[in-house]
Amino acid sequence: MERAGRMLLAVAAVVAAFALYPQLFPTRLNLGVAIVLFAAMATAWDVLGGWGGQLSLGHAALLGIGGYTMALLSLRLGVAPWWGMLAGVALATLFAAGWGWLVFRLRGPYFALSTIAVAEMLRLVAINWKRVTGGAEGLFIKTLPQPFGLNLFDRTVEFYLGLGLLGLTLLVAWWLSWSRFGYYLQAIREDQDSAQAMGVNPTRYKILAFMISAAFTAAGGALFALYVSFFEPHIIFDIGVSVELALIAYIGGAGTVFGPTIGAVLLLAAGDLFRNYFQQANLLIYGILIILIVRFAPEGVAGGWTFLVRRWPRARRPAAAPAE
Amino acid sequence: MTEITSLVQVVVSGILTGGVYAIVGIGLSLIFGVMRVVNFAHGEFLALGMYAALFLFSRFHLDPYLASIIVLPAAMLLGYAAEKLFIAPIAHAPEHSSILMTVGLGLVISNLLLFGFGAQPQSIYTVYSTSTLRLGAVTFSLPLTVSFLITVGAIAGLYAVLTRTEVGRAMRATAQNRDAAELVGVNTAQIRGLAFGIGTALAMLAGTLLLPVLYVIPTVGGVFTLKAFVVTVLAGMGNVLGAIGGGLILGVAESLGATYVSSGYRDAFGLIAFLLVLLFKPAGLFGRSRV
Repeated sequence: MERAGRMLLAVAAVVAAFALYPQLFPTRLNLGVAIVLFAAMATAWDVLGGWGGQLSLGHAALLGIGGYTMALLSLRLGVAPWWGMLAGVALATLFAAGWGWLVFRLRGPYFALSTIAVAEMLRLVAINWKRVTGGAEGLFIKTLPQPFGLNLFDRTVEFYLGLGLLGLTLLVAWWLSWSRFGYYLQAIREDQDSAQAMGVNPTRYKILAFMISAAFTAAGGALFALYVSFFEPHIIFDIGVSVELALIAYIGGAGTVFGPTIGAVLLLAAGDLFRNYFQQANLLIYGILIILIVRFAPEGVAGGWTFLVRRWPRARRPAAAPAE
Repeated sequence: MTEITSLVQVVVSGILTGGVYAIVGIGLSLIFGVMRVVNFAHGEFLALGMYAALFLFSRFHLDPYLASIIVLPAAMLLGYAAEKLFIAPIAHAPEHSSILMTVGLGLVISNLLLFGFGAQPQSIYTVYSTSTLRLGAVTFSLPLTVSFLITVGAIAGLYAVLTRTEVGRAMRATAQNRDAAELVGVNTAQIRGLAFGIGTALAMLAGTLLLPVLYVIPTVGGVFTLKAFVVTVLAGMGNVLGAIGGGLILGVAESLGATYVSSGYRDAFGLIAFLLVLLFKPAGLFGRSRV
């Protein structure tokens, strides 16, 4: 429990450090909002992908459900965005339960492929169900109510909403790092058959992890919809978004509390920097980074750090031994 | 045109498109069968083939079909090198590593293409781009027919290599049981590189064959990676010959669905079939037979 306590302090410190961002970089708020939102969604992705070891490449579906539910309820029925966001979260959680029940009999690459298929089908529905979704032309959120006088189109407001979500997802990741549920997930990731032999029901825990992951991803999707305010199916439902979440988590360190956050800061800042030099080809840096990480630091940046910290004293001990 | 001829017409164009899907799927299936790697960069290699043919056409006025003679061996070498550089070093890492690695490779390829050729769609115009052949009341697109014939030739060639040569035997042995193949003296590391080379060559060949009939943009690969997945899953992952059937089924299903159900959901038919097969018959439609 002592380690868990220190980890909780670290979570608070990270959120507090992020809270200073709007004061430190008032001109780079767009990047800031993108970082906290993608850090939050990647941490949510990591519940299933990193801790549970189930490589999903279809999380864009959940992001899209969250975004579209909020936007459509607000545009078509005048529902306030926070209720719309909750509705999106509920819908995505239910959807994930059904989705998980259907596909968790599949393992490894087969599971990854099935998630792509589900997300792609939702994208096709969003494009073709024009009467409801606005089709390929997308949706434009023009007006929103102002809760407590807060303008939801204001980047600072969006930043703190995103940071709040990031704080929540970090708490979930922290809980996974010490709870029984977290250990079940890790056992399933390491060796599903052994975990089952020890009495852990893999399907049940994978579905639960998927639902938690879906809820926070959908909340992120709703905030993302506010952030871009104009969205099209091939932006929000795109397989590229799903891949981006997975890459962020892996580059930072999948299955660690802070890995996805580190990954989001690294990748989005690097992507932003590269956009100036390579225009549309800014994803090149993503490709190069993921190749380097998989090749040389398969545990990601956070994993590599833990590895160094653990190894350091041991590496020095033999050198000191002969002197005694 | 009577309903029967229009049905035949739809099936024929489905089969011609299916031929291209088949050759893309066969490459992916061979790679999975021999290496147990799901190649997420497969479509990007196809895009690379399209741009290679585009480059040869615009710079040297080389016909895309002739260009494939140059592209094929170059693609083979490229694939072999890519395997040795990027995939061989992580051969013993967990399964998801190879997925992430090939996703990264795909991102690098498509973004380099974007950087080199720009984002605007490009196409070439050849004298035969819009020509058709006529057989009774049914018309065949000339470039698609030529592509189909070349595809059949390439598949026959691959089949001959796999069944008639020592290398092919070694490749099939590695696909069946890597450790056992290693024990009887097969250099499986070499075979894996070769399989990736052949798979890449088939994808890039498909790219050159598609150039006369399709606009090319740097992100075209993603669509074909997905199609290749559908084909291989329909056939059973690693079932190389089955991929022919998978490709034809996908081509005809898309063509029929787009004509008689809804053109907007054209891509959905393949995906639904893909999910159903994955869930209820994960070994594929054609049982466990491999090459």
